Amino acid sequence: MYSVIATAAVHGIAGMIVKVETDVTNGLPEFEMVGILSSEVKEARARIRAAIHNTGFLLPPKKVTVNLGPADVRKSGTGFDLPIALSVLAAYGFLQSEACGETLFAGEIGLSGQLRPVRGILPMVLTARDHGYTHVVIPRENEAEALMVQGMQIHPAGTLSEVIDWLNGKRTLAPGPINIEETPREEACVDFARINGQRVLRRACEVAASGMHNLLMVGPPGTGKTMVARALPGILPRLTEEERMELARIYSVSGRFEERKEHLYERPFRCPHYSVTATALVGGGRVAQPGEISLAHRGILFLDELTEYQKPVLEQLRQPLEERVVRLVRVSGVYIYPADCMLVGAMNPCGCGYYPDRSRCTCSPGDIRRHLRKVSRPLLDRMDMSVEVPRVKIGELTGEGRNESSEVIRARVEGAVRRQEQRYQGERFRYNSRIPADRIEAYCPMDSGARRLIEAAYEQLNLSARAYHRLIRVARTIADLAKSGEILEAHMREALLYRTMDEAVWR
Amino acid sequence: MDYRFWFANAQGISDREKRRLLQVFGREKEIFSLTEAQTEKLKLLSPRAREALLAARRDTGWQKKSGLLREQGISLVCWQDKEYPERLKNLYDPPYCLYVRGRLPPQEQKTVALVGARSCSEYGRAAAETIAGELALHGVGVISGMAYGIDAAAHVGALKARQSALKTVSSACDVPASTYAVLGCGVDVCYPAAHRRLYEQMVRTGGVISEVPLGCPPLRHFFPRRNRIISGLADAVVVVEAREKSGSLITADCALEQGKLVYAVPGRISDDLSCGANWLLSQGASVLYSIREFLRDLKVEKQEPEKLIENSLEKNERLVYSVLDFIPKHLETLLADTGLALEELLKVLYRLSELGCAKEIHQNYYIKSKVDS
Repeated sequence: MYSVIATAAVHGIAGMIVKVETDVTNGLPEFEMVGILSSEVKEARARIRAAIHNTGFLLPPKKVTVNLGPADVRKSGTGFDLPIALSVLAAYGFLQSEACGETLFAGEIGLSGQLRPVRGILPMVLTARDHGYTHVVIPRENEAEALMVQGMQIHPAGTLSEVIDWLNGKRTLAPGPINIEETPREEACVDFARINGQRVLRRACEVAASGMHNLLMVGPPGTGKTMVARALPGILPRLTEEERMELARIYSVSGRFEERKEHLYERPFRCPHYSVTATALVGGGRVAQPGEISLAHRGILFLDELTEYQKPVLEQLRQPLEERVVRLVRVSGVYIYPADCMLVGAMNPCGCGYYPDRSRCTCSPGDIRRHLRKVSRPLLDRMDMSVEVPRVKIGELTGEGRNESSEVIRARVEGAVRRQEQRYQGERFRYNSRIPADRIEAYCPMDSGARRLIEAAYEQLNLSARAYHRLIRVARTIADLAKSGEILEAHMREALLYRTMDEAVWR
Repeated sequence: MDYRFWFANAQGISDREKRRLLQVFGREKEIFSLTEAQTEKLKLLSPRAREALLAARRDTGWQKKSGLLREQGISLVCWQDKEYPERLKNLYDPPYCLYVRGRLPPQEQKTVALVGARSCSEYGRAAAETIAGELALHGVGVISGMAYGIDAAAHVGALKARQSALKTVSSACDVPASTYAVLGCGVDVCYPAAHRRLYEQMVRTGGVISEVPLGCPPLRHFFPRRNRIISGLADAVVVVEAREKSGSLITADCALEQGKLVYAVPGRISDDLSCGANWLLSQGASVLYSIREFLRDLKVEKQEPEKLIENSLEKNERLVYSVLDFIPKHLETLLADTGLALEELLKVLYRLSELGCAKEIHQNYYIKSKVDS
């Protein structure tokens, strides 16, 4: 007999419908599976046989052929166990396969018949919806994830026998009470009210957050660079519904939905340790997985101790930072992961950390140059803003602050973001930091004072064309914060403050 | 000419032996045409020097090198030449020859050597630049070693002063060369390489000098010997900033042996960088406490009384200027010290740097950039 069951595979962060077909005939007993399967899918054979047996079915020895179509796409992952098992049962006649017509199944099965969670449930459910399916059966642990999709009947199940009972109309599979928080949780990140002093740095953060500019902080250890970075997500504009879904998909695909679940309304903050490998940072692996830069999508990728990262690893960031997506090419296809994040870096100005205070810094000019050169010029070119963080005086550190809270700062940031959204209606970009060079003239009008300043700076600081444009973009954001349509002299002067580190060092 | 170069270039023979040889034979050509047997009999040379002389005779590489002289416009000044600086002749161990790109300081020009630490503070840099600038304005030649830090600041200060002086004069000939560098490597080698622009500028408007054969890389042992030429060419030596064990102190020692005036710019006792200079003061070096007095000591009169900068500033500018120091201060500190808003402070700082009173020496760090004295 023949049966077909629908399931889905994940490719990049998109899902794709896969049909599991099974044919059972007389002949030499055999269990064959075809359809370019990776080893974990092939192993399903053993799991399914045991699970079906332990659920109480006896499979007479017959020739069983399972095909996963379309046959030209490589299938990997453990989510195929459940549909294969159901398909086999249906082909043997234990189930009515017609009952499964509008339902999509996914889940891993243990030998006892118990269902286990799988990665990528969210994109699978979204694909199911797009293809006109109305019901999905998934492992109970993946419930929260699947429930993010509106307009679908979600049926979480704990064991194979529950699914069979549901198909036979003997029971219902209803989702439990919704446990995703609907209200934003803010305590997770540091509040700016807790950061004393550092007025220049605070302001730089506000500007960077308003235009999604990449930010580099240079300063001695223990000056609060990390703390400030952790506070940054709290002043970024709130996530839109669309962004939230996009993020959930990425986390679902990488099997990290659980850790994301608690913070669905916050922008992600990722800070990989500097021993991170290139694969972990941008994504990849034998079975392609999103890397840290994709996990930081719409949020912040924080690289602390920038000089300590391996140079080849950092170089990998160049293309994703430019294109805002990671494109991984493998034999099995091209995987595309979104990677539109704000890069925040922190580093010491020199080996001993005291530079430019030469009376205390013991580094020779050569040492300092070597230290700074650990970060490549092209990567620095992608840092839109840079700010020096000084040591705080002890009084400022402990003084009970009349500091602005993140909430107040965020209100201004959101105002600036709204101005940008209005201005860039119909464009492909939304933030000032993303204005392409050829549109700068159109979107960044300057008054004569600002123009004079930037031109003088271009001469004196020996700026590259890229650095010149970067300065104008930052000035545009400062003007947006000041609710000014035109970039004024004061805005440009402030932008110059955040210019990327002295070009002379890399000459 | 070529024989002169061959003899100057011959290595392994001391300067003293070279002078003796020349006194005996009169011309370099005679020395070149000595046979092997004759050389072996030369009693005035040490056995090692005799070997070296024979080796130099056999070697043909020098001909290629001598082409460099003409190509790069390097002049060779030897002991017996009348261009050879009188000042050096009185040294205990004068160099036999000098390779010069550009020119040597004229005999009648007053010269001062400015030396100091490579990793200098901003205070040291500003002091060196200002002193060198004032000296150059008064026609005094500034000599240093083109190293990082104080050396470079001295050269830059002098070059800047010369450039501003050029603006008021009709022809460049009226302005004397302002600054000379003595190198510890071949005169055709730019060390440190980062000072290429400075090097080129000095070749054009001043002089780059070395006793080391052409093409020699900067070797450790050349530098202490180089220092005796720096002090030798100068009428006075000024140590701006030096750590406890510093090459600048060797220069000061040489200057004392040669009977030159030694000055030190005093520093705070808390600064490691001023330790060497302060030690010199304790040993009896003259205190360079005022540029005006220093010029008077050198018998050069200061031409115009300097206006006090502070008087020309507005209220906020004066406030910020008074808070600035030679120790770099971060914007954060300035915000706290002046109590101004960021926007206003930036405006004032921009104005001050236009006036040349403040300078952003490193991102977000500002210093005072004029020494009043």
